Amino acid sequence: MNNFYNLVKKEMKELITRQMIISLVFMVVMFGMMGKFIGGVTDEEKKPIEIAILDLDKTLISHNFIENMAQPENVRISIINEDSIEKAIEKTKEREGKALLVVPQGFGKDIEEIKGVELEIYSIVKGLSIGEVVSSGTLGQIINTINRKMALDFIEEVTSDKRAKDVINPIRTKEFVVVGDKTVPGDPGMIRSVATSQSVMIPVILMMAIMYAGIMVITSMGMEKENKTLETLLTLPVKRTSIVAGKMVGAAIVALIMAGVYMIGFSYYMSSFTSEVTGAAMTAVKELGLVMTPASYLLLGTSLFLAILTALSLAMILGLFAQDARSAQTMNMPIVLLVMFPFFVLMFKDLENLPLVLKVILYLIPFSHPTIAAKALIFHDYLPVIGGMAYMALFAAVAMYICVRIFNTDKILTARFSFRKRKRGI
Amino acid sequence: MDKAIEVSNLIKDYGNLRAIKEISFQVDKGEIFGLIGPNGAGKTTALRIISTLLQVTSGSVKIFGYDLTKQPDKVRECISYLPEEAGAYKNLSGQDYLEFMAEFYSENSQEKKSVVKRGVEIAQLSERIKEKVSTYSKGMTRKLLLARALMANPKLAILDEPTSGLDVINSQAIRRLIKSFAKNGTTVLLSSHNMLEVEFLCDRIALIDKGVILETGSPQKLKDKYQAQNIEEVFMEVVK
Repeated sequence: MNNFYNLVKKEMKELITRQMIISLVFMVVMFGMMGKFIGGVTDEEKKPIEIAILDLDKTLISHNFIENMAQPENVRISIINEDSIEKAIEKTKEREGKALLVVPQGFGKDIEEIKGVELEIYSIVKGLSIGEVVSSGTLGQIINTINRKMALDFIEEVTSDKRAKDVINPIRTKEFVVVGDKTVPGDPGMIRSVATSQSVMIPVILMMAIMYAGIMVITSMGMEKENKTLETLLTLPVKRTSIVAGKMVGAAIVALIMAGVYMIGFSYYMSSFTSEVTGAAMTAVKELGLVMTPASYLLLGTSLFLAILTALSLAMILGLFAQDARSAQTMNMPIVLLVMFPFFVLMFKDLENLPLVLKVILYLIPFSHPTIAAKALIFHDYLPVIGGMAYMALFAAVAMYICVRIFNTDKILTARFSFRKRKRGI
Repeated sequence: MDKAIEVSNLIKDYGNLRAIKEISFQVDKGEIFGLIGPNGAGKTTALRIISTLLQVTSGSVKIFGYDLTKQPDKVRECISYLPEEAGAYKNLSGQDYLEFMAEFYSENSQEKKSVVKRGVEIAQLSERIKEKVSTYSKGMTRKLLLARALMANPKLAILDEPTSGLDVINSQAIRRLIKSFAKNGTTVLLSSHNMLEVEFLCDRIALIDKGVILETGSPQKLKDKYQAQNIEEVFMEVVK
């Protein structure tokens, strides 16, 4: 046990270098700055938008139209008393307004005669960022509300019938979501988004942890060869399994520290622009039972651990072929690809909707299973979770067995990938 | 049983290439035995096999009675190997490196302390021992590695070109140190290109060329046999 601890300690001392700490700090600072910047932009977006209105008609109808204009939460409307559009634009600019809405002369008359009226909108553009330009959606929302209200008033006035709403929208919908034997009212899109948000970070955590773990192990092997320390290490009175385990655990600890620090920075960055969950959707998710229980999180954690263990075992085998720390970066490529492939496929598609061949490929890649598990656990579907864990455990055990076997042979010193003709040394 | 090393009919193949061709030799306990030969003769391969790094193709090797193939862990408990082109962990200080290595040879912290103390004395790096290995010169690294190889008083020290990269003064100090360790009971198996070093150090030598041992004996006996002034002349005569 002492020898193992000694090896783990040495691995960590070798891998945690000043350069590594600097790059980690730099990364966290970068995420912090990006989060602050994006957070600032979001706050800016939340500020009310100033929209000016110039009434050139000056009739009772135009007055009522402006008075009744609905103001969305993030819009502030102000009236400008000028006699020309040019002057009104200047005034709008002075008020830091984003748009000028002009009610033309003859507005009231045309409305009365049901001719249809055209409003002119002048957008004041100072920059091209999101906060600088009023979207046509925002103005459209205001106009639509007025249109609807005017139409209702008109129908009620003409027909004296109070069912104008049903004339304009004869059909309405009420949505329900059914999961298993439970049915609750709600928007399926919103419910899906709330349910998946519980495990949305899993693939990212997995990708980062596996990539770091792989790089650490392969780099460690590459460094042993580059620094010519491997031969001495292999002649020490310590079991080869302890050397393999020591390297794996040391690298795993460093990788988890790195991934953890990365995730803190990344979470801060993500939190700067993720939307708040609505209470109704959250209640619906709870009623449907689509929530992760402590047991689900435990299973997910185990699944992640097994995926990291598998990555470490594979990385150890690949590390045997690394000749130095530089070539180690390249050797990690197969693991990165095996992580990235399921990550991107499962991000956009559900496993069930994929063609059989792709489904089989994903099941064969051990790193797909934590992402599959994250989705399955929300629906309390434990079979693919347990199956995936068993597969990963078996995969890791076989890889570790192969690794220890290689460590017990000449291959540990002679194995290499080379495109050139191999020269033999004695 | 007085034999530290017993090599019988040892063969080592790298694919189709036979690097060691059925060599046999024995080394007594406390003896300094040298494998002498040109580049590519098979010296390093033989040392790597005895150090448990390479597998035997055929033949047998016993270290203090332990079969190398069947009991490699037992063999590793008896040996300490210094490769010719060895390095130390660059992010560790010299002291940390010795402490890391001492852990494997010590039963408790008291023993570890005395092993490290001996290592620091052998390395003779003064205050630089506390600095990172990455700042060391080639000679300083070699002294640190030699200290690592000898500090635990191994039963068998396997030294591949022990004074490689050292200047004359340091080389002489190291040779004296190896002699003193042998006097205290450590068996030494070494390889060297330096014939003067071999003559000074070794009780017996084996002349090896193209994977075959051509002669074995004490330097004086071989010089007498070939009526040579020094081992270099003996070697030239033998490989003729």
